[in-house]
Amino acid sequence: MSERTIELYIGPQHPGSGHMRFDITLDGDIIVKAEPSIGYVHRSVEKIAETKTYIQIAPLVERPSLADTVNPNLGYILALEKLLGIEAPPRAQYLRTLAAEANRIHSHFYGIGILGIMLGSSTAFMWAFADREIMIELLQMLTGARITYSYVIPGGVRRDLPVGFKEAAEKALRYLERRLKDYEKLFFENPVTVARLKGVGVLKKEDAIALGIVGPNLRASGVHYDVRRIEPYAAYDDLDFEVVVKKEGDSYARLMARVEEIKQSMRIIRQVLEKIPDGPILHEKYYKMIPPKTRKQIEETGRLKFPAAFATLKPPKGEALSRVEGARGEFLYYVVSDGSPRPYRFRMVSPSFRNVWLFAHLLPGHRLADIPAIYGSIDYFPPCADR
Amino acid sequence: MELPKRVVHHIEALLTGAKYLVAKPRMTVMYPEEAQILPEGYRGMPKFNREKCRSCSLCARICPANAIKMYTVEVEGEKKKKYPGINYNRCIFCGFCVDICPAGALEFTDIHDYASYSLEDLVFKPDRFAEGPPPRPFKPKLVKPMLDEEVGLKYVPG
Ligand code: SF4
Ligand code: SF4
Repeated sequence: MSERTIELYIGPQHPGSGHMRFDITLDGDIIVKAEPSIGYVHRSVEKIAETKTYIQIAPLVERPSLADTVNPNLGYILALEKLLGIEAPPRAQYLRTLAAEANRIHSHFYGIGILGIMLGSSTAFMWAFADREIMIELLQMLTGARITYSYVIPGGVRRDLPVGFKEAAEKALRYLERRLKDYEKLFFENPVTVARLKGVGVLKKEDAIALGIVGPNLRASGVHYDVRRIEPYAAYDDLDFEVVVKKEGDSYARLMARVEEIKQSMRIIRQVLEKIPDGPILHEKYYKMIPPKTRKQIEETGRLKFPAAFATLKPPKGEALSRVEGARGEFLYYVVSDGSPRPYRFRMVSPSFRNVWLFAHLLPGHRLADIPAIYGSIDYFPPCADR
Repeated sequence: MELPKRVVHHIEALLTGAKYLVAKPRMTVMYPEEAQILPEGYRGMPKFNREKCRSCSLCARICPANAIKMYTVEVEGEKKKKYPGINYNRCIFCGFCVDICPAGALEFTDIHDYASYSLEDLVFKPDRFAEGPPPRPFKPKLVKPMLDEEVGLKYVPG
């Protein structure tokens, strides 16, 4: 450290930094060095998972990354299904896609709202948080919960589409489409937003790849990479959607990549509701274990009852790897089974953990006042990184 | 004379904001004076029905949060039986217990907002679990959320 520079600590109490700390070295108000210091909200999800039975891990993995919950849930279940050697029936695959995309929309609104408040636009924050509620309400109709749905289970999903869902979803989508135009005028094209974000925090394509960045942050730097396309899961193979890629790689491109992704997700939801095949929502093997009387009740209510075997799932010895495209980027799971009712090893890599190095990479050279703009544009979420 | 683009965008932003100053209704429920009517199948605090229970313990075994514990209860004229009790402090509302119960002895209530003076008070042994969480101490005005093309969410008095 030279005499010119000073060290500044931001956080870990939540000054808009989330529960993390930045160790910043400043020359005047120019950032020379930035180190993200993580782990303040570490809850040891991996080790807790190794003490839980397989079904009990489903609600656990969706807790770290608030807003985006269906995707981590789905990613884990895909790994578990590989171990069990089963696949969900087509209707369940479509319902998984539906829930994942509705969740992606409300997670992106969450991110946009946080970016808004970090830039000082309380209106954008209030709007985004209110409009997020639309998708939450819709998912609540489907799953019975607001945020932590635990909707995806081994071999299928927990509930079928409720009566009136399609109509409600169409109304919600039309509303959001119209609203996005207002967002454009109020926030996206607002000269203040543009001035704070354009050309700020530019991430070059090569650097994005070298640093292993994931999700919209990667695609906003010109890399065409989306797990939904590269290794299709759920029903993505049957559906038509564009992978949103932007060239610029600046904070503005990252924001707009999310906005475009919201539109693509709406497109996917419409197709799912149009094309969803009839059929069971749980794998035959488990459905057969449910007594006939209960099965009748399930058909009437559309709400599944678990077979008793769910309490003691014991996948055969082996290991499985799975990944899904979450709202903030790729979730990766690695699960090792030793044939007992609990995993021998459980590994969960979350997108925010991959993206956190962007702070060290992007902040130097910028002014101190650019931290909130860059932070918000990354849609970084400390609990998601810390797990 | 053509206005510079930035000026146009500034004006548009202000006008858009101003439009919503008067636009109604807004997405606000004045909780707790008002409360939402929750959809069918809402995963609120689970409730227990002793008559239906087969004492199989599946609910306690599947609970990811260790919220359910089996208690041994003396039943008149019969042998001792095991029934579940719940610790609402620990419950994460996943609904696994309700979904795995083979006898339909557990069901969701639509109550999710119960405050108590002590932590112990949230531990419900089987008899209290059967009564379920107490109802709200006052009656809020109920509103039904409806998705709406124009305003997003409409809260219709119900
Ligand atoms: S809802 Fe979930 S956490 Fe609560 S008691 Fe039932 S199984 Fe346990
Ligand atoms: S799962 Fe149902 S029947 Fe079995 S002990 Fe629990 S409440 Fe009783």
